[in-house]
Amino acid sequence: MILEALVEFLTLGELGGVIVNGLAKSALYVMIASGLTLIFGLMGVLNFAHGSLTMVGAYLGGLLMVVTVTGGTAPLTRLGLFFVAIVVVFALLTVLGGAIETTIIRPLYDRPPIYQILLTFGLTLVIEEVVRIVLGVYGLQPLSDWQAALATKPQFLREPVALGPVSVGWMSLFQILLGTITVVGIWAFLTKTRYGLYIRAGSEDTEMASALGIDVRQVFTVVFALGIGLAGAAGTLLMWDPTWGASVPLAAETLLPAFIVVIVGGLGTFRGTVVAALVVGMADAVTTWWFQNVIEFTGLPELVLFLVLVVTLIVRPQGLFGVEEVGGH
Amino acid sequence: MYHTLLNSPVGAETQMLLPTVETMVGVLYFGLFAISFDFISGYTGYLSFGHAVFYGTGAYTVILIANGKLPLLGPGTPFMLSLLVGGLIAVVLAMLVGLVSFRLSGVYFAMITLGFAQVFYVFVRGWDYVATNPRDGPAVGPSHAEGFQIGVPGIDQLSLSIGVLTGDEVALLGSTLSGTEVSYYMIGLVVLACYFAMQRIIHSPFGRVLIAIRENEERAIAIGYNTYLYKLGAFAVSGFFAAVAGGLFAGFKRSASPENSFYFLVTGDALLASIIGGFGTLAGSLYGHLFDETVREFLSKAGQGGGLLPYLRALLGQETLDATLVGDTTIGGLIDLLLNGHASLYVGLVFVLFVLYVPDGLLGTLRARIGGTFAEALPEKLWGDSE
Repeated sequence: MILEALVEFLTLGELGGVIVNGLAKSALYVMIASGLTLIFGLMGVLNFAHGSLTMVGAYLGGLLMVVTVTGGTAPLTRLGLFFVAIVVVFALLTVLGGAIETTIIRPLYDRPPIYQILLTFGLTLVIEEVVRIVLGVYGLQPLSDWQAALATKPQFLREPVALGPVSVGWMSLFQILLGTITVVGIWAFLTKTRYGLYIRAGSEDTEMASALGIDVRQVFTVVFALGIGLAGAAGTLLMWDPTWGASVPLAAETLLPAFIVVIVGGLGTFRGTVVAALVVGMADAVTTWWFQNVIEFTGLPELVLFLVLVVTLIVRPQGLFGVEEVGGH
Repeated sequence: MYHTLLNSPVGAETQMLLPTVETMVGVLYFGLFAISFDFISGYTGYLSFGHAVFYGTGAYTVILIANGKLPLLGPGTPFMLSLLVGGLIAVVLAMLVGLVSFRLSGVYFAMITLGFAQVFYVFVRGWDYVATNPRDGPAVGPSHAEGFQIGVPGIDQLSLSIGVLTGDEVALLGSTLSGTEVSYYMIGLVVLACYFAMQRIIHSPFGRVLIAIRENEERAIAIGYNTYLYKLGAFAVSGFFAAVAGGLFAGFKRSASPENSFYFLVTGDALLASIIGGFGTLAGSLYGHLFDETVREFLSKAGQGGGLLPYLRALLGQETLDATLVGDTTIGGLIDLLLNGHASLYVGLVFVLFVLYVPDGLLGTLRARIGGTFAEALPEKLWGDSE
């Protein structure tokens, strides 16, 4: 039976679908994790509030869409509004991130790194509860996905498209597109701009960078703010994905995969994060296929994700592309 | 005591301020879990972010034994023995997890333990052997209707049943202790015994080495200690007591779910308790959790547990509540909005403030002020004993 399933799995149609799904998942993972990895790489802060801020981004993006989109809005207009929403959410959360960094993260730099984990963990409690209160005011269910936001998705994104023998969803292609834009954007920012140079220098050696005249404190603030902004942008994209959706539990649902991707890739390397997102996304898509078709164990994809984490840490403790010193305090 | 206060003139205020007995039972067993978390994380400095896996192991072991689903051990196995078995399974598990995890340190250690715990969480949630609906978790079946007994196994006179509905009632000095109150004292006994055991270990030379590892591991190695073995030992001890705590939880509640035993947020609660109480103080974790639960219950909506909301409603009266503030918002609506079940908000704020301004926690700060542990420093302060 396993053999038959394997043969079916290896047919072009099935395998192609799995690969496209895997790429789409990878795109989501890289969007969720890139903010986290930027922040950790430079500042050594493992931001536990990242998932919560993704969740806030999902709700903010949803809000913008629900307010602007009416039943008669044309599909392409909706798509345009969506890009506007991503930019607006990114800007809003960048400001929020900057505020968080300057007010409460900054006093903790000279304490052991455990305190940053603790502080951001406390922050998640506060953020989630505030979101719950706001949702309560508007009578929305915090635990289930926000359907009104899902409904703003243009019809054609729900439909499948045939690429040769492979049938994939438009939504997957859309996610791959956005993921690619994110990766290229961050890569260009890190390697082609002066600020990216500061960030890379700061990641290598903070003291040396500041000795050379870079205002490291300011760079910290900018990176933290941008990382949070990225979390928000990822949330906006997730709001349209029916398997994620805007809901309060989204915070924990995205935080754990983001951790997996960042750790597997190696803390603080952007290249590692991209590769790890591909690995994790593919593993997710493959096991999801096997779970849907052969093995009846509901938690299989999730289980495999955590196994990837555990096995990576056993075999290569610093992650795929990690340098041993980073985060090894 | 609780009832005496309730019937006193300040009854309403008492009910508002104090947690119920049932909550206090929860404080005890979860406090023990928080203490065991502090034992490894606060003393060696290795943040065991997957500690919930041991708590869950203890809880599931007790229930599986009671349902006759664990090989070799029938449903009639005494509860005390189940606790021990759960603890030993956790020790084995801690050894296995620790063997690979202690090769890492810092954030990586926290992440690999988290990874292991989540693997078990997902696994237990999908494994239909443990319960008919593994997502909701197992419950003690009808074949095991009597309550779990804490005491000396085999001697009825020295054992008492625990549980909300299944606990023994005891007549004592003219008043009757309800099942919940009996549970409170019996579970309290076990927790106390476990606390003393852990305190003993921490104050032994073994515990000193753990602190040395936290303060400067390289130096501890240089002196000649095999820190790897010490960390592994501490992890096993900590896992054992975490499982006992989980067993007590399952024995009292008679059911468990993956969400309230194996999930990583359970560890998060222990973390909250340890930080608020004082990291690396052992007993502080219990007070930290007491603080956490008191705040939560004070701000929760449940009427019978007291809390601020019902008290304010009764105090202000219906007319004040209906008075409009801004637009169509009434005072009652506003109170509801801010207080109804949103305790996490305030707990989170308190937690953030603690991390920022009281990094030593409640007990740690008090100890620093008094200049030593309470048992040592308090008599000195009071009577001026100087050596």
